[in-house]
Amino acid sequence: MQQALFAFCMILLTVLAYFAMTKLYKRYSYSFLLPVLTATVLIIVTLVILNIPYKDYMMGGQWITSLLGPGVVALAYPLYKQRHYLMKYSFTIAGGVLIATISGMFSVGLLSKILGINDTLTLSIIPKSLTSPVAMEVAEGLGGNASIATVCVTLAGIFGALAAPAIFKMMRVHSPIGRGIALGSASHAIGTSKAAEYSELTFSMSSVAMALCAIIGTFIGPIVAGLLRF
Amino acid sequence: MKILTTVFQFGILYLFYFIGSYIQNYFHLAIPGSIIGLLLLFICLCLKIVPVKLIENGATFLLSILVLLFVPTTVGIMNYPSLLSIHGVLLVAAILLSTGISIAIAGTAIQFFEKKGQKRTEVQECNKLSSRSA
Repeated sequence: MQQALFAFCMILLTVLAYFAMTKLYKRYSYSFLLPVLTATVLIIVTLVILNIPYKDYMMGGQWITSLLGPGVVALAYPLYKQRHYLMKYSFTIAGGVLIATISGMFSVGLLSKILGINDTLTLSIIPKSLTSPVAMEVAEGLGGNASIATVCVTLAGIFGALAAPAIFKMMRVHSPIGRGIALGSASHAIGTSKAAEYSELTFSMSSVAMALCAIIGTFIGPIVAGLLRF
Repeated sequence: MKILTTVFQFGILYLFYFIGSYIQNYFHLAIPGSIIGLLLLFICLCLKIVPVKLIENGATFLLSILVLLFVPTTVGIMNYPSLLSIHGVLLVAAILLSTGISIAIAGTAIQFFEKKGQKRTEVQECNKLSSRSA
């Protein structure tokens, strides 16, 4: 009984933190106030102050995470609504996602080699632009560590959503298709939720890119790792 | 009533997720069940096997709180205080740089493809028009 109450409190904490931070973001709309970032920080601070370990927090948190599966399935709905665009731009989309996946994986592998990061870590961060369940599988398949991969995926997601507006401005990317695919293929679902702020078309392009990237990434990951010769 | 329909529609989305996961386990695929479920639902919507009305409300609601669903996972970063060490900082730097690079490359490349595609169709249309007038 007590455990159930505790789990409920953790769910409440997460939901309250999220909605409060969303309100704050809508009010001031600075990109560094991105709800996923601020809510995460707020919850971590609360947990540290109350001396609650992450494992205990997840007794409640896992209920929210369990909605992620159907949440990803729900992305089929915006895809269906934009299916005409998908057919019309199928080559652009496929080519774009391929370029994004290769550049994301190759650049991170090369950078971590240059920075002298050890092999296991490097293999764990190569799939950082894929959605986390896929990234975990790919990282383990390459010989990396699944939980480090999840952390890297999270960092790539948050940073991509944070930095994308500035990058688009600098590179003069105005097309909704370009923006959507860049966000979805570099920052998976967190980027996709950022894409929803632009337009419905950007949102669905980002969802397509995320799904395609997950599929392409499982094949390209081993190739990139092989090219960098581990 | 609206809550009931939304809950029912959640059930349908869950069903597709379970089917996707089952397929993944059965064939030992590296692609996760949720992505397989997404593709299945998309195909079913396109072939009108599942009417859009059947998932519209549930999907819209779930997508509006999609970020919330990630928060418990992102909180997991607290288990890795070593990210603040020198190696951790290098790792984070590599991830951030690479994410920025791939967004810039992908965005620019796709916009370029798109413009080229548009020009090509414009040229084709022009050719059609001129050949007709000739």
